[in-house]
Amino acid sequence: MNNIIEARGLTKLYKGGVLAVDNVSFSVREGEIFGFLGPNGAGKSTTIAMLTTLISPTSGTAIVSGIDITKQAYQARLTIGYVSQDLAVEDALTGYENLRLQAGFYHISKKEAAIRIDEVLTMVDLKSRAKDKAETYSGGMRKRLDIACGLIHRPRLLFLDEPTLGLDIQTRREIWKYVNHLREEIKMTIFLTTHYMDEADSLCDRIAIIDRGVIKTLDTPANLKTALSAEIPGATLDDVFLHHTGHGMREDSVDKESAFRSRNQMRRARG
Amino acid sequence: MIVIQPLVWLVLMGYSMAGLTSNPEAAKMLGTGNYLDFMAPGVMIMTALFGGVFGGTTIVWDRRTGFLNKMLAAPIHRAAIPLGKLFSIGFQTILQALIIVIISLFLGVHFVTGFPGVLVMLILSGIFGMFMGGISLSLASRIKSMETLMAITNFLTMPLMFTSNAMFPTSAMPHWLKAIAQANPLSYAVHAMRTISTQGWIWSEIWPAVTALVVITGLMTALAIKLFARTVS
Repeated sequence: MNNIIEARGLTKLYKGGVLAVDNVSFSVREGEIFGFLGPNGAGKSTTIAMLTTLISPTSGTAIVSGIDITKQAYQARLTIGYVSQDLAVEDALTGYENLRLQAGFYHISKKEAAIRIDEVLTMVDLKSRAKDKAETYSGGMRKRLDIACGLIHRPRLLFLDEPTLGLDIQTRREIWKYVNHLREEIKMTIFLTTHYMDEADSLCDRIAIIDRGVIKTLDTPANLKTALSAEIPGATLDDVFLHHTGHGMREDSVDKESAFRSRNQMRRARG
Repeated sequence: MIVIQPLVWLVLMGYSMAGLTSNPEAAKMLGTGNYLDFMAPGVMIMTALFGGVFGGTTIVWDRRTGFLNKMLAAPIHRAAIPLGKLFSIGFQTILQALIIVIISLFLGVHFVTGFPGVLVMLILSGIFGMFMGGISLSLASRIKSMETLMAITNFLTMPLMFTSNAMFPTSAMPHWLKAIAQANPLSYAVHAMRTISTQGWIWSEIWPAVTALVVITGLMTALAIKLFARTVS
């Protein structure tokens, strides 16, 4: 099977000396759902930011869809869909307008955009509310709209950064359904981060656990659990996670801005 | 909302000053017998000043809500984001200045060059709005907190306005203030617009001011693009 992501020695050293990601190498296979797990501040978001070309690595690189992200960031972006954890939809615009704006970001012609908007709205069941402003949407609907935005250019690879954060169980299941649909019907590769172990367990083909900027382990959920079963009989993915990342709580090293954003995100999701 | 404050200025200041300025000596300084005629272009630029200076703050909001990342993950040129912001600021400024024009007409302001003159004045307001937008975008590239940015931009607007010819003729100013007013970019815009609205198409007065305005706006736009690109790299 082809690798759609090949990270080669990815490293990010922030100003001020924080080594967020330390010489990370791994690959993601085309068509799989790849879980990327880790405690807060472990380097998940920084890794995603590098893979999606939002920030450039201090050293190392990654080949995404066959394109070197440090050399041809623009071309790489065309093949990548990115749904951040921020619920970044424009409140003042309708669902339809949000998607049209997004289609514009990807240089999709007006005629083609109309077809695709219809397609993604149907997929996330938002067609009936497409003409309403996003500010009238519930948290789950916003998230669905945000996911629809990430799909408008039919990416080969979709990054879903904590897509179910702050959502109720019904909406979470609904989002799992979309994720499975994308993999099975559209053969899209999905790079997923989450803090819910049950979610990772049921959705992901393979899981990487990152902590303090280093990948601790990478395997299928079943193998990860089996490997631990001698030590903990009937180990769950929770056990695997704690085994690799320790039990101590983290002092969040996130900056003020992401702290504001996650608060804001939770608040909006509840609304 | 941006037009409210300039409107209050226009109505209150315009009317209270009208009594003071209805004499031949004042008319000579103002270049027109009617203070409202004198003030209308100044108020159009005030609108551009307030609108433009807050325009850049939207990027702070985009950054906080994560919308900026969404744009950055898309295949769009990095310069397109600040440029798009500046053009939208320019366009909004034109609409706001148009509201001022319409109300000025109701208040009896006379634009001697008529419709073509008003059109040019609107475009100049838009360019000045982009200049101010460039300043605030440049600041916003450095200052990530909305509160600090608001405080700084607020601090900028009033001195810029009062050290210009927007409200008072430079000939009525003390020498030191006159020197500042003549260097103030706001004055170029007002001078060109006021010439058009109260004197007519006097190109020798209009061209230098317009050229200066376009040049500083171009430079400010380039700076805003450069600083923006640096923060997102």
